[in-house]
Amino acid sequence: MRHTSLVSVYISLIIALLCQLFPWVGQSVIFRPDFMLVVTLYWLLRAPHLCNVGTACFVGLLVDLATGSLLGQHALSFCFTAYVALSYQRRLVLFNKGQLLAYVLILLLIERVLILLLKLFTGNENPGLVYLLPIISGLLLWQLMIFIFGGLTRPKTSTS
Amino acid sequence: MLKGVHQNLETQQTPAFFVRGASAFSRMVFFCALSITIMAIDSRLNYLSQVRQAFIAALHPLEVVANAPGAWYRDTKKYFSAHNKLVQENYILKQQAFEHQVALQRFNTIQAENEHLRGLLNGNIPNQPKGMLGEISHMGRDPFTHIVVVNRGNQHNIKAGLAVVDSKGVIGQVTRVYPFTSEVTLITDKELSIPIQIERNQLRAIAFGGGNNTLDIPYLPTNVDIKVGDKLVTSGIDGVYPAGLAVATVTKIEQNPESPFAKIISTPVAEVTNHLQLLLLDLPDAREAEIKLTSETPETKDREVKKEKLNLNKPNIKTNTKPNTMPKVNANAPH
Repeated sequence: MRHTSLVSVYISLIIALLCQLFPWVGQSVIFRPDFMLVVTLYWLLRAPHLCNVGTACFVGLLVDLATGSLLGQHALSFCFTAYVALSYQRRLVLFNKGQLLAYVLILLLIERVLILLLKLFTGNENPGLVYLLPIISGLLLWQLMIFIFGGLTRPKTSTS
Repeated sequence: MLKGVHQNLETQQTPAFFVRGASAFSRMVFFCALSITIMAIDSRLNYLSQVRQAFIAALHPLEVVANAPGAWYRDTKKYFSAHNKLVQENYILKQQAFEHQVALQRFNTIQAENEHLRGLLNGNIPNQPKGMLGEISHMGRDPFTHIVVVNRGNQHNIKAGLAVVDSKGVIGQVTRVYPFTSEVTLITDKELSIPIQIERNQLRAIAFGGGNNTLDIPYLPTNVDIKVGDKLVTSGIDGVYPAGLAVATVTKIEQNPESPFAKIISTPVAEVTNHLQLLLLDLPDAREAEIKLTSETPETKDREVKKEKLNLNKPNIKTNTKPNTMPKVNANAPH
């Protein structure tokens, strides 16, 4: 169960891209989680030898191309978030579920704030607090990822 | 026990003699530098538009797959829509068509008369802009930008810069064209401005996008003759938007005693969220100029462009302000 293959990483990323491309109707687009980011963070924390800062950067570029925003915006913020995520990756075994969730919350917050800063630099208007809503839906998606692919903190089946 | 837990999480940094690659920090620095470079190239130079186009074209099948559930839902909903609703709609549409027909009859005679008069005065006959029907395939993927994606692209002869309208008024302008789709920036975007005219007193101004579904009209003095409820229409000076299309209605006028300018806020009349269909209007003048340019030799190109520009601007401005001086201007121009 613990063994992760590259195929599952890429398939989940492609599914995340599909979700990102899905035409969200009306106001629901504001609540839409950052699918690509959450999936990338999951694999980053679980298998850093398969999915590292470079993958995060590439995924960010894909998001840029798909959303039509300035190329490199998401790449930069994903890179930095990935770096922060990796710097505590080895301490994850000591975290319990709540702490891990808080950690992911902080990571998502970092990414949102970075994107917001980059957007303000390029001249967008300030979107207000609504801008932070995807963090909450992102946390829900994170729980879903853990439900599907298994947790990161205390694996039930420990091989000795 | 602990050992087992450690085995489960695959290690990221191995000891130095099992060197696997660069450290996370150096990777981060490298990729951040890379993305900053890409950002600079994308924002200042135009090299990456080709990459973008190719990528979007490659992404098209995925997009179709993602759009499929929505399309199926809409189709089945249409199929099962009640019979009497259709009859009612048909009745209303017939009535509307009849009314439009009556209005068109008058319009045709007036247009013929106008052309005849302009011909008498040796003036230019303004071309009717041709339109192409498009459908909104989705609102922009980033909810905090003012972009709508339309299902017409390069393949349908769409060009960047076309004006986009719906049945109520102006929506915006095509800013990026991909092979099968194109991006329309709404007039409420901060980067877009549109030359307008107050319908009531023909006062010309330029409206800028204000974000949050508003338009700003800056640089007008506090005593300007604009009231709440005034309708703004396009003035047609820029040669992009044909004259006389509805743009917005003034909703709020603020007067700040510290500022010499009034703060005039208006709301667009086009209903982007309610309709799917919209019309992409051709640029008649630009198209003509292009055709002329291709037939000219390169040396005369610049002069021709200047001439074209002059000709484009003159009739618009003159007809708007003082039509009496028109024949002289146009008669003298060719000599």
